Amino acid sequence: MEINITQQNNSTTVQLIGRLDTPASLDAAKELEPLQEKANGTIILDCKELTYISSSGLRIFLTLRKAAMNKGGEVIVRSINEDIRNVFMMTGFLNLFKIEN
Amino acid sequence: MKLNPSKEKNQTRQSLWLGLLVVLVAALTLEATALIQYFYSRKGLRQEASQRAESQLEAMEYRIMDIIDQAEAAVRNKVWIAQWCLSVPDSIRRVTERIVNDNPVVMGSVMAMVPGYFKNQPLMAPYTSRSHITGEVSALSLATDEYNYPSKDWFTKPLETGEGYWSEPYIDIGGGNILMTTYSLPVRDKTGSIAAILTADISLEWLTDAVGNIKVYPDAYSLLLSRQGKIMACPEKSLVMNKSLQEVTSTMGDTALFNRVGRTLLSGEEGNMSIHYKGAVNHIYFSPMERTGWSMSIVIPDKDIYGGLRRIGNLVTIMQLLGLAMLLLILFAFFRRQVKFNQLEDKRKRMMNELHVASNIQMSMIPKEFPPFPERTDIDMAADIVPAKEVGGDLYDFFIRDEKLFFCIGDVSGKGVPASLVMAVTRSLFRTLAAHEYSPKRIVTAMNSSMSDMNDSNMFVTLFCGVLDMKTGHLRYCNAGHNAPFILTDHIWKLDVLPNLPLGIVPDMTFEEQSMDIHYDDSLFLYTDGITEAENSGHELFGEERLEKVLHGRRPAINHLKDMQKAVSDFVGDAPQSDDITMLFIHYLNQVPTDVSERHLVLKNDIQEISRLAQFLDTLAAEKGLDHSLTMSLNLALEEAVTNVILYAYPKGVTGLIELDAFLEKDTLRFVLSDRGVAFDPTAAPEADTTLSVEDRPIGGLGIYLVRKTMDQVTYRNEDGKNILSMIKKI
Repeated sequence: MEINITQQNNSTTVQLIGRLDTPASLDAAKELEPLQEKANGTIILDCKELTYISSSGLRIFLTLRKAAMNKGGEVIVRSINEDIRNVFMMTGFLNLFKIEN
Repeated sequence: MKLNPSKEKNQTRQSLWLGLLVVLVAALTLEATALIQYFYSRKGLRQEASQRAESQLEAMEYRIMDIIDQAEAAVRNKVWIAQWCLSVPDSIRRVTERIVNDNPVVMGSVMAMVPGYFKNQPLMAPYTSRSHITGEVSALSLATDEYNYPSKDWFTKPLETGEGYWSEPYIDIGGGNILMTTYSLPVRDKTGSIAAILTADISLEWLTDAVGNIKVYPDAYSLLLSRQGKIMACPEKSLVMNKSLQEVTSTMGDTALFNRVGRTLLSGEEGNMSIHYKGAVNHIYFSPMERTGWSMSIVIPDKDIYGGLRRIGNLVTIMQLLGLAMLLLILFAFFRRQVKFNQLEDKRKRMMNELHVASNIQMSMIPKEFPPFPERTDIDMAADIVPAKEVGGDLYDFFIRDEKLFFCIGDVSGKGVPASLVMAVTRSLFRTLAAHEYSPKRIVTAMNSSMSDMNDSNMFVTLFCGVLDMKTGHLRYCNAGHNAPFILTDHIWKLDVLPNLPLGIVPDMTFEEQSMDIHYDDSLFLYTDGITEAENSGHELFGEERLEKVLHGRRPAINHLKDMQKAVSDFVGDAPQSDDITMLFIHYLNQVPTDVSERHLVLKNDIQEISRLAQFLDTLAAEKGLDHSLTMSLNLALEEAVTNVILYAYPKGVTGLIELDAFLEKDTLRFVLSDRGVAFDPTAAPEADTTLSVEDRPIGGLGIYLVRKTMDQVTYRNEDGKNILSMIKKI
C-alpha cells in the first residue's frame, strides 16, 4: 500500500495505491490521522489505483467523512473501480460520499 | 563376544609369582646382611673378651708377683745376717724376728738349721710368727719331734737344689687356718755349704678374695691352681685348698676333656682354649705365674660373650620375619584385591554384553528399515532413536492397516533398563490394540488402563498416537502428555493438542481425541524432549526455537531427519547425551482428488497473516479459473471473517491457530474456518443498518455484515470447543 498526499490551497489530495486490506489499513489510519485537522477544507481520496478495500479501509473513509462533517469540510472519493463500487453499494457508502470519476 | 578369563588368571598368577620372588630376594638380602654383621660382631666380641681376660690376668699376675717379690726380698735381704748369725747361734731367732717385723706381708719366718750343723743341738728351728687375727708376734720353735721339719718340702727342696723354693700353698692350722705359702732360701756358711734354710710365710688369704672378685663378665670366674693342680682360688670357697682340679673334674665325666684341660693349664704356657661341655661352651684364658708355678685362668661362658649379640640377633631375626610377614600379607591382600577386581571386571563385561544384547532386542522392536514402505508412493517416512544409555525409554512405532497409518511416539519416565522394560510393554500394547482399533482415543485409553493396572513402579509414559487415513489425509490423534508434534507445510506450526495425562497415572481416565486434515506434501514431525533438552557443554538447551529453524521447507523425510540430526549433534558437540533422542518424520504424499478438498490454510492469530490469505485465494482462483470480481469478494468476506477471529478469539499474547479449508463441490464453493478461541457466533450479530446518515453511522460493525452479504450461506457451530464457521458461495 502506498499513500501520496498533496496539498493545494484548501484541498488535500490523497492518492491510494494498492490494497487497503486490514494490515494496510492499520498503517494508513496512522498516516491519515493528521488529515482530520484539515477536514474543514476539501479532501480528495484518489482511488484510481486502489484495487481492494476491506471494512477496516472503509472505517478510515468514514472517520474522515465524520471529521469533515463536523468541521464543515468535504470528502470526495474519486475514480473507484467496479469492485470497490460494489462494496460501497453494499455498505451504503455510495450515499455517504461524494463520488467522482 | 566371548570372554577369556583364563588369560587374566594367568596374568594374575604371574604377578603373584613375581611378588613372591621380590619378597624372597628381600629376605635373602636381609639375611645376608644380618649374617655378615653377626660374623664381624662376633669376631669383635671375641677380641674384646680376649683383651679383657688377658688384661685381668696380667693385673692379677702383677699383684701376686708384687707380693712374691716382697717375700723373696724379705728373705734375701736377711741372708747375709743369717750367715753372720751362724757363728752366734743364740742370735739366730733375731733373724726371723727381723724378717717378720720388717715386712708386713710376712706372717711368719723360720731359720731351720741343717740337722747336725750345731753339734750340741742337732735340730734347731726358731720360728717367729704374727697372729693373723691379733697381729701379735710370738716366738716358737719348729724343732719338735711331731713336726720333724727336716722332712718337709720347704726344707728339703731348697736343700736339694740350693735354690730358692716356693712351697705348695697350704692351710696353716696353727696360725689361724689361713692359706699360706712359704718361700725358703738356703743359707750357706763361709765354706759354701748349706747351713740353714731361711723362710718367709706369706698369707694368700687376700688372693682368694682378689681372684674371686675378678668379674670380667657376669658369669665369668677365675681359677688359681697351684703347681700340683690344687685349687687356690675359685668362686666355690669349699673347694679352695680342699680339692685339686683333677679331683673336682673326676666326678664330671668326660675325663679325657678335663685331663686335657688340666694338662694345658699346668703346662706353664700362656693361651686360651674353648671347651664344649654339656651343650655349653666356655672359653678359658690362662697364664702361668713365674717362680711359683701357679696357673691363673679366667673362665668365660660363651653366652656371656655372645649373649648380647645373640639377643640382638634374635631381635633382628624377629624384625625380619615380621617385616617379611607383613610384605607377604600386603602382597596377598593386593592380589586378593586384584582377583576381586578382575572378577568385578568380568561381571561388568558380562553385564555390558547382556545390555548390548538387550539393546539389540529393543532396537529390533521398532521399525528401523527406511523407507518403510518402498512400494508406496503416498507416504515417506524417516525416524531415528538414540538412547542415552545402552537401552532407553523412548519409542516410536508405525504400521499400515486398512489403508491407515497407525503411528505413535512415546517417552518413558526415567532411563536405562527399567525404562526400557516399560518401553517394551508400551510398544507391545500399542501393536496389540492398534491391530483391532481405529480410534486413537480408544487405543490410548486402553493402553492407559492396562499400564495403570500393573504400574507398581510408578513409571509413566508420555505418548502421542495418531491414525492417518492414507486416502483422505484425515488425521485422528490422541495425545497423552506428550509434546505437540509439528506440522510442516509452507510454514511451521505446532499441532493443536490437548495435553491430557501421561499413561500409567490415572487408571480409568478417558482420553480426548482430535482430528485435522493434512494435505499433499505436508509433513508431521514427532519428537521426544531429548531433542529440545539436549545440552551442550555450556549447559544450554537446544530448545524449540532452534528446532523450528531446522524444520523449514517441504523436503523428503530423510532430508528433514538428517538436517535435524546434524543440527542437534553440531549443537551438543562433545557434551555427553543426557536423555534419549527420538524423532519421526511422516511425509504425506497422497494427491487427494481435487473435487473433494481444494486447499487447506493455517494461519496464526496475527493480523499480518492476512496477506497469506490473499495469496491463498489468488492461487485458488488461478487454479479454478475464478473471475477477478468473485475472487475479490471472496477475499473480502474471508478477510473479514479471519480478521474477526484474529482480533477477538484469543486473549492478547496467546498464540492461536486459525484453519481454513476450501472445498469446491460442483457449483458451490465452501469455506470452513475453525479456531479454538472464545466461542463466538458471528451469525448472531445484529445486522448493520446501511441506511443511516453520516453522523449516525457507527465506525465499526461492517466486517461481519460484509461476510454475510458476500456469501450465500453462513452457518456457525461450536464443536468440541472449536468455533466452526462454514461459508458457502454459489458460482
